[in-house]
Amino acid sequence: MIRGLAIAALCAAAAACGRSDAAVTVWHAYDKDERAAIEALAADWNAAHPERQVELVAMPYDGFGDKLGSAIPNGNGPDLFLYSQDRLGDWTAAGVLEPIEFWIDDATAARFTPEALASLAYHDALWGLPVAVKSLALFVRTDLVPTPPRTTDELLAMAPALTARGSFALAYPVDDLYAHAPWLHGFGGHAMDGDTPTIATAEAVAAAGFARELVQRKVVPAEADAALTATLFAEGKAAMAISGPWFIADIPAGVPYTITTLPTVSATGLAAAPYLGTEGILMSARARDKDAAIAVALAFTSDAAAARRAERAGQVVPNPAAYRGALADAPRLAAFRKQLAHTVPMPVSPAMRAVWTPYKNALGQVVSGAASPAAALEKAATDIATYARTEGAR
Amino acid sequence: MKAGDLRRALRDALMIGALLWLAVTAAYVRDRNKDATQRALRHAQAAAELIAAGETPPTPTAAAAIVGAPVASKQHGFLRRRVAHTAAGPRPLGGPTAPAVDKLLYDAAGRFDKDGPFVAMLPDGSERAVAAVATARGPAIAITAGPEPRAPVPWLAVVGHLGLMLVLVGVGAVLGGRARGVGVAAGLATWAFPAYLAGGPGLALAILAVAAAAGWAHATGATDRAIAGVRAHKVALSFLAPAGVAMIVLVVVPFAVGLALGFYDHHHGRWTFVGLANFKRILTGDGHALSDPLNFWFILGVTLAWTFVNVILHVLFGTLFALILRQPWLKARGLWRVLLIVPWAVPNYITALIWKGMFAGEYGAVNSILSGLGLDRVSWFSSWATAFSANVATNTWLGFPFMMVVALGALESIPKELEEAAEVDGASSWQRFKEITLPHLKPALGPAIVLGSIWTFNMFNVIALVSGGKPGGSTDILVTDAYRWAFERGEQYGMAAALGTIIFLLLLGWTLIGRGLTKGDEEARP
Repeated sequence: MIRGLAIAALCAAAAACGRSDAAVTVWHAYDKDERAAIEALAADWNAAHPERQVELVAMPYDGFGDKLGSAIPNGNGPDLFLYSQDRLGDWTAAGVLEPIEFWIDDATAARFTPEALASLAYHDALWGLPVAVKSLALFVRTDLVPTPPRTTDELLAMAPALTARGSFALAYPVDDLYAHAPWLHGFGGHAMDGDTPTIATAEAVAAAGFARELVQRKVVPAEADAALTATLFAEGKAAMAISGPWFIADIPAGVPYTITTLPTVSATGLAAAPYLGTEGILMSARARDKDAAIAVALAFTSDAAAARRAERAGQVVPNPAAYRGALADAPRLAAFRKQLAHTVPMPVSPAMRAVWTPYKNALGQVVSGAASPAAALEKAATDIATYARTEGAR
Repeated sequence: MKAGDLRRALRDALMIGALLWLAVTAAYVRDRNKDATQRALRHAQAAAELIAAGETPPTPTAAAAIVGAPVASKQHGFLRRRVAHTAAGPRPLGGPTAPAVDKLLYDAAGRFDKDGPFVAMLPDGSERAVAAVATARGPAIAITAGPEPRAPVPWLAVVGHLGLMLVLVGVGAVLGGRARGVGVAAGLATWAFPAYLAGGPGLALAILAVAAAAGWAHATGATDRAIAGVRAHKVALSFLAPAGVAMIVLVVVPFAVGLALGFYDHHHGRWTFVGLANFKRILTGDGHALSDPLNFWFILGVTLAWTFVNVILHVLFGTLFALILRQPWLKARGLWRVLLIVPWAVPNYITALIWKGMFAGEYGAVNSILSGLGLDRVSWFSSWATAFSANVATNTWLGFPFMMVVALGALESIPKELEEAAEVDGASSWQRFKEITLPHLKPALGPAIVLGSIWTFNMFNVIALVSGGKPGGSTDILVTDAYRWAFERGEQYGMAAALGTIIFLLLLGWTLIGRGLTKGDEEARP
């Protein structure tokens, strides 16, 4: 009796181990519709490949990147995972990622827009297949702003009338570099030049000065974070908001809105250009069965799979052939696709990781009036250099 | 000679011998794996050299080829193709359905282009080696077929050795007297020989030392006493064991790891020993001015001010409310007591987020009240003084109930007769407070203040959630700064760990001082 039980337990354990060994594990931090879409794709794969199952593991977004970076080198990570390209620099240097250009020929590469695929390339190698592209765009409440502003001057001109009604013209996290980037690029500046941070440039100073002007003229609230931006927009206390595709889920039903491209910066005539983030399916350097993993990655990024993700979750997919039928003129996707023409790829360099917090501090000082744009950015540049020094020491 | 002597000698030898056997086995396995690795590397290297010379390698290889230079695709520069020249002719490497071993050849060629000739184990744990040597047509690459065979475990030698050990121990016990200890030591010392073969002289010396110590312990009866002790307290030890294991796993190990990390630098997943460099960087201010929030001494100053102000306010409000709750005129005392404890019962991050919302610039409750009173709105988190005050207000709300509960307990213990007697003697209410209430409060509040100051010193949630260090990191305290080193400044875990060690030492010192202070109080108690 006891021996029978022990044998049964051993078999069960062996079967469990056997199954998870044979499966391709995919970690992701998707939620809601995106999660449902990727789960549907996994279910399709599993129905067609009983011998090589896909096991999806949903992770909380906070700390997801750190978890990947520490789990994979210890051999506890996934075979594949979904992440944006901004840590490629760190992860390729740390040997977290498997280069995949070996498996990708020109015919496969032709699935994707060249920019999206190129954003997952680094140091002459390809590190992932693009799943979705994400950038900011302008959300406009059509009941408050019938014609969206085409230039920043138009934006400023709209503000007094809206302020009189108790609304801000625009809301976005003013001190966040990611949300500030459209202005930075619109004034002709850049946060990084290759691996070198370029912080206290004349263009960056002008852009920070513009952000301060927006706050001082009460066009934009001073302390809106992402959550407050959503609340203000939903309640009509902000007529417009700068945010990305994820913002759609935060807008309550019944709020009349449209999505459009960000305005042109009047001072320079350049379009405000947000960062372009490419979410890719990346392979762990410790993937157990790399052939199976690449087959799953290719299946999840096929034109048909991309179309399903776009339909189900509203993802802006980088597969041009996916936009057929109803998807071809879905208005929200169209707006983000239009914004893609005016974007700057998110820097991949490891040095960028040291930029975010000091830049946030600087913007906070500037918009509150505690420091001049030039002084605040000089200070940020010094702080960033402190961290970059240890970054580059080896 | 007594039968008991022999039994005890064998018992001690086997117990210590089991530990030595584990150590020697670990060294043996390591040595054997190292040997297999070296053979794999030699085979790969030899095979690669044969291919380079145009011959066919005799040892079985998973793949052997000369791999040509990469040719970039016209559309995408990062899609690069290589061709493998094998005995069977050339074949392109790559494509969606390429065999797995081709990927290894392709990656090895890429590594050769970057680092030059190399020989290494594959990182996939398959115990295969890969070698690349230069030829005119590109690197000649060979990959071994699988794990190298290992030498069989010498079981006969193990059994013989065990026998020799027992014989030596037995002879010692039979001879009796001084020879008992010598026998145990000599028996255990036999482990030094295999240890020398597998692990080198260091391990052998360590084993000799253990053997000598064990012999001495046996001769003096120390092992007997230790075992008798364990036997006598069997039940107590079995009760302690789960907590002991939990303490080791949850406290001792993380603590030791944390201490050790402070001496390392972390970069791209690699750890480099840097000695005291992290501590030096922190304690010298790392080149930042004293007024710069990146300077350790600035943050330490903020942390001390933060702790000091908070604890004073906690004690003041706690004692005040405790005294009010004791007043005979107070109605619905139970209700008030519950209400005043509520801030303590709510999770502190919830409270912190609520207070952060109340201090928000445009729509916060505090500013709404201020403008309702006709005052200017304050941008709370744009200057140090206001941001610090917002943090302190939040933490005072969180902290006073603890002091109040402690003070209430102490006040309950004051004998009624004492107060009545004082009242009869005509003492004023101030005199009664000063001479009776306060001396009774002191011994209870002392430890509470030490505890409260440690909590406040490390109050991560309030700082991180209310001001978030704004403006410009100047309201950060040491723990939130340690967090930033780890997660916002390029994963410098070593700096974070070193700062953690410094925080520990500061609090250790404070606890020792605080213990001295409260002890003094207790002794002074009438």
